[in-house]
Formats: sequence, C-alpha cells, structure tokens
Amino acid sequence: MPTDTRRITGPESSVSPYSFCKIQEPQPLFNSQDLRKDGRKCDQVRPIFLKTGVVSKAQGSAYLEQDGTKVICAVYGPRAVIKKEEFSMKGQLRCDFKYTTFSCKYRRQYQQDNEEKDYSVQLLEALEPAVLLHKFPKAQVNIYVTVLQNDGSALAASITCSSVALCDAGIEMYDLVTGCSTRLAGDRLLLDPCKHEEYSSKEHSEVNNGSVTVGLMPSLNQISAVTSSGEIQFEHLKKAINKCSEICVQLYPVCQQSLSKSVKENIKENT
Amino acid sequence: MAADVKTAQPLQYYRKFIEKDVRPDERTLEEFRPTVLNIGCVTTAEGSALVKLGNTTVMCGIKAEIASPKTEEPKKGYIVPNVELGPLCSILFRPGPPGDQAQRLSQFTNDVITHSCCINKEDLCIVPGKYVWVLYCDMVCLNYDGNISDACVLALLAALKNTSLPKVVWDEDTETIETDHNTTTQLNIICEPVSSTFSIFDNEVLLVDPTVEEESLSTGEVTIVTIDDKICMIRKPGGSPLTPQQLDLCINRSFIRSQEVIRLIQETLNSVDR
Amino acid sequence: MKMSEQKSGSQNVLRLMVCEMAHLSRPDGSATTFQGDTCVMTSVYGPTEVRMAKEQIDRTTVEVVYKPKSGLPSCAEKSLENIICNTCENILLGNAHPRSAINITVQEVQDSGSFTACCINCCCLALLDAGIGMKCTMAAVNCCIDNEENIIVDPTRKEEEQSQAVLTFAFDSKDKNIITVITKGKYSQQQFQKCLVLCRDASDSVFKFYRETMEKKLSKT
Repeated sequence: MPTDTRRITGPESSVSPYSFCKIQEPQPLFNSQDLRKDGRKCDQVRPIFLKTGVVSKAQGSAYLEQDGTKVICAVYGPRAVIKKEEFSMKGQLRCDFKYTTFSCKYRRQYQQDNEEKDYSVQLLEALEPAVLLHKFPKAQVNIYVTVLQNDGSALAASITCSSVALCDAGIEMYDLVTGCSTRLAGDRLLLDPCKHEEYSSKEHSEVNNGSVTVGLMPSLNQISAVTSSGEIQFEHLKKAINKCSEICVQLYPVCQQSLSKSVKENIKENT
Repeated sequence: MAADVKTAQPLQYYRKFIEKDVRPDERTLEEFRPTVLNIGCVTTAEGSALVKLGNTTVMCGIKAEIASPKTEEPKKGYIVPNVELGPLCSILFRPGPPGDQAQRLSQFTNDVITHSCCINKEDLCIVPGKYVWVLYCDMVCLNYDGNISDACVLALLAALKNTSLPKVVWDEDTETIETDHNTTTQLNIICEPVSSTFSIFDNEVLLVDPTVEEESLSTGEVTIVTIDDKICMIRKPGGSPLTPQQLDLCINRSFIRSQEVIRLIQETLNSVDR
Repeated sequence: MKMSEQKSGSQNVLRLMVCEMAHLSRPDGSATTFQGDTCVMTSVYGPTEVRMAKEQIDRTTVEVVYKPKSGLPSCAEKSLENIICNTCENILLGNAHPRSAINITVQEVQDSGSFTACCINCCCLALLDAGIGMKCTMAAVNCCIDNEENIIVDPTRKEEEQSQAVLTFAFDSKDKNIITVITKGKYSQQQFQKCLVLCRDASDSVFKFYRETMEKKLSKT
C-alpha cells in the first residue's frame, strides 16, 4: 500500500493471524435445543445499554452497547455549512459512519472504505425523515458514529444510537428512529444476529438467505429505512420487516428512559 | 455573570482563580483530574484499554498481524502506534487525514515506546527472518478535554499489558505457520512509562494536567515521561522559559504521579482477573 | 561571511562552529551553520502575508517547514518543526508584526550529531540576518550520556548512537533560562541536572559565536 506520510507506518504489508488458522467447518446456526450459539431463541434480541452525554464537547452524544456491539455517536450542530456553495433553505444532515481499526476480527483501514460509506448513506436516509430540517435553514448538523466493537447489527445499533444523540443535542425531531436487523436463513428468522450469524453473500447463496435492517419511527408507526441483501421471496421479506418493526417498537421505552434520565440529571445540576 | 467573564475575558477569569492557588474546576494547581481505567473492554482486539482523565477519553486498541521482518533486523517485530483525533471528539477537528496535532502525538507515543524499551521487539519474533508480529496500536480519542498525551500513554501502556498473542506453530517440512487462537501468551512488558503534562500559565505558574481551556491560554507546555525512578523523556518544545528549579518541581511531581498510575493499573488488572 | 571558533580536544567543549550568512539572494534572511560535520541551512521570509485561517490578530504567526535530506516528510519531521516553531515564537517580538507570518525553512544538509541543536542555532542566526525584532537570542546545545555515565557535550553521531541518552537544551540570552528541552533515552534526575549545568556553560560559547559572526557581518557592510 502507498506509504501514508501522516501516520507512523509499519511494514509494507501484513496479514491477519486468522488467515493462518485451521479452516473451521461452518457451525450450524441452531444447536440441538433449537437455541443459537449464545443461548438465545431465534426471536430474542440482546439487551441494550444506552447512555447519553458521553462526549462532553459535543452538543449531543450517546453510547449504545448491545452485548458485543459497542457504538458511540456524537452530534455537532446546528452550525454553519462548511462549503459555502451548498446554500439551501432546508437544513442539512451529514452522517459519518466509521469502524475503528480494532473493532472487527480482521483489522480495518484508517480511511472509510466502501462498506462504511454505504452505511453512512443508509444512516442518513434513516434519520432524515425524522428531523425537522426546515428549523435550521442554511445550517448543518453533523453526526459522527464510531463503532468501537462490532458483533453484528452495527447499522441497526447506529440508527438507534444516532437518533438518541440527536435528541440529546436538542435537535427538533418528529420522533426517534429505532433500528433492528434480522438474518433470514431459509424458513428461520434470526433477530439481532451476532457477527458469525450475519449474512454474507459469499458464504450463503441459497434462496431466502439474506439480511434485512429496518429503521422505524415507533410513535408514528412509519418506517424510515429498509435495507435488504440477498435473494428473498416476497412473503419472507414481509415477515422479516414485520418482525423487525415489532422489535423496534419494543426498543422505544429503553430510549425514552435514558433520555428522560439525562434530562432529570440536567435539571438537578442546574437548580 | 461568571460565565460572561469566562467567555469575554478568559485570561482575567483564570487569573482571579490562580491568585488564590486554585482552578475553576476546584482543583489545586498540582492536582490531576480523577483517572478511570478500564482494561480489556474490546474483545475483538488483542489488547484494549479505555482511559478517562476527567472528561478526556481515549480508547486504545491493539491488533496483531503477521509480517516479514526487515532484512537488517530479522528478529525484531514492529510496534506501530497511531493517534486519531477525529471530528467525533471535538469541534476543533475536521474529518480527513490526521492533522498536525495528531501527527505530533503519534510521533510522541512512538518515541515513548522506542526510548523506554518497554517491550523487547525480539519477543515479537515468530520465525527469525520470515515471520514476526506487528502490533498496530491505535488510540482513538472519544472526548477531547486537554492533556491528550498523558491519556494516550496510559491507554497504550494498559492495552499493552492486556495484550495476548495467539500461539503460532512453525512447520519446518511445509515451511508454513499455523495459528491457534485457543492458546494465548501474554505480552511481556519490561517497564512502565508514565507521562505527566504541565502547562505554563502567564509565563510563571505551572498547572498540572491542563484542560482544553487551560491549554488554549497557556504560554508553554512541559511533558515528562518517567519509568520507576528514572526519567525517560522530557519534552518542552519552546514556550515560556523555565528556571531549573521549576523544572525540578515538575520532575518531582511526575515521579509521584507515576507511582499513583502504576498502582491504578495494578488494581484494575487485579479486578479484571478476579 | 565566515566566522570560526576553534576549540577541540576537551570533552566539555563544542566542536568547530562555522556560519555563512546572507548567501541566498531571495529570502529576507539566510544562514548555513556547521557544527563540526553537522550542517543545516535555514532561510527566513518575513514579516509577510499569512493565510486567513492561520492569522492571529495580536501577534505574528511563525510557520516552520523542515526538509530532510531524502524522503518525504512524515511524523518525525512534523515533531521537529513543532519544536523549532515554538522555540522561535518564544524569542521573537510577536506583537511587533500582528496579522503577519514569518516563514522559516530548515534544510538538512548533513546530520553528524547534535542535529536539533544545530537547527535551532541556525534558525536564530537566520532570524538575526533577516533583522526581525527579537526579545533575546537563543543558543541550543546537545549532550549525551554514554554507557560509562560520562557526559559528552556536542557529541558526534557515533557517540550519540552508542549513548544511553541524548539531551538537547535551548537557553535564552537574558537569564539563561530553559526555553526548550528535548530528551531521548533513560537517565536519572541527578544526571539531568549535571547535563543542564554543563550545557548552560557551553551555551556561553555559542552566544560569543553569534556576537563575533554579527560583528564581522556588520563591519564589512
């Protein structure tokens, strides 16, 4: 790779130790008791831990932990648009999604690669419908999401985390957006997949194998974003989206609780 | 009222506090902010640590990869530290390649590792001349509130102490290696460098562990890295001139700090093992 | 313009210092300094226009670019630039030229030991040549602690590589206070104090060298 003069560089090329591992057989998704590898049933999601106000320097921030997936989000804005040519009467939202280099099994690059750029766009599409953009014309709000550890469903976790951070920043919104993802494996639906359960187009090529991520606005009961990959029949897709939406609604009280807790703490500090 | 003075005349605001030997956040001039350490928080990394120095938060993650060594040093591995100051941690940073400050910090941590010799690079050798370990140590700043250098060095040290490398078996017949992630060996840390930063206020007063407001008002900075009872590095790049007596005070304070930090690391490691 | 100071043979004395000033026609000030075999060339442009982003309303902005002999500049070079920049900022009368910039370019010609000290000394001479107002001059001295715990002032590259620690000090001419300290390697507090005292005494010769250089330069023109 070309030498990066702005960083301390190591050897020209290095390989992950996982490439030298004994090739393991792909493990089955369900064991003999019909439970997943971490003991969950197929429609059980991992418990969520949410905390706001973790980045003191940002207008709003949130940290979400869903067992192995750890995401931190900071919101800066509304502030002046950096590029003066992009004047618009509607406010602008900019999302930046990034994995840290140590968040995945195989080390990631410092620059955003295609997957991260794709997720940034999907995140933006999920959040835009919920924000009152006309309330901050000629200004922009920047959302920076960093995934500290990835154990599956990073995009869904980021959607939830960013909308809570936006709320913490005091940006006016129609509703929170909660995210949930699912893996389809034939007739089974695995909600909130872990990294090893996630769909990969290289490994799974049968029909009805894929993944679906849904971003839902619970009180308005409107879906702001749906992403799916893999060849899926329509009935299965419908079932997946409905299941995800149910879970998104269940996540709503968790988000509300963490936000109301931080507001109460703020009031206590200021009186 | 106080908030108005703070925004309009930050220097006067600080001077009023420093006259009484105290700072706006109720610390004395020689007090460090409360330090919180969390080791082994990221399981996808071979070693990780999270440091909170007051509000300043830095997370260090270490990923190990395998590479071929340099021809002139066939038994030495690589340690590649890098500091990332992204737009997430503060309004001061723009997205894009590392800026000046990030580059300086990366070089600083690189110097700390090289000059303290805290890791013997020959410990990272798998097969001399063919395969060695490369430790990529990435420090990500999650909240920028001043004194990043101390937080980075502490996070790096704690993460290195937490690093365990998988066992590698060298097959002489086929000349290939095989890694086994079920057996791991802990990395051997020879010594523990600890950094303390002081900022010079108004050309005279020394403030320990400056916040970001104090850094912006400072007229100079001194960073001292100590190992046990020896000094590993003193870095005072310009700034207000100091007398040797003032520098001595800083060195004494850093020795005290170093003992506090090593105790903290030991306590955290013990609680993790339990 | 050459000026030399000949002293050698003793461990606590600096190597032969030679300086040539105003040899570059374009810059406002320039100097090439030899300290033994180590050679550095510096040019100064200023006070001149500054980019909007870097403008400071009450003082001058000092920008330093360091160019190594070969290869692209990377993090280590940025670190050295920062050291030189902060050191020079300290001695310049910043308030005399607000909203302006002083651009210093340092070119490595040969590194045979005491490199950082040579860079700082060269910058000071170039600034003197450019006639930019300064509060005081500065002198930088390198020293190293070898494996037998001896302290060598102004070491050669070989001595530096075999030593356990290398220390660089920069002093101001007013009170001989410490402007800059950059050290590498492990040493004790007592050793640090000893080095400080030795380097402080050695800086006298550097200041004397500046005076002689300027005297010769001004007497000719």
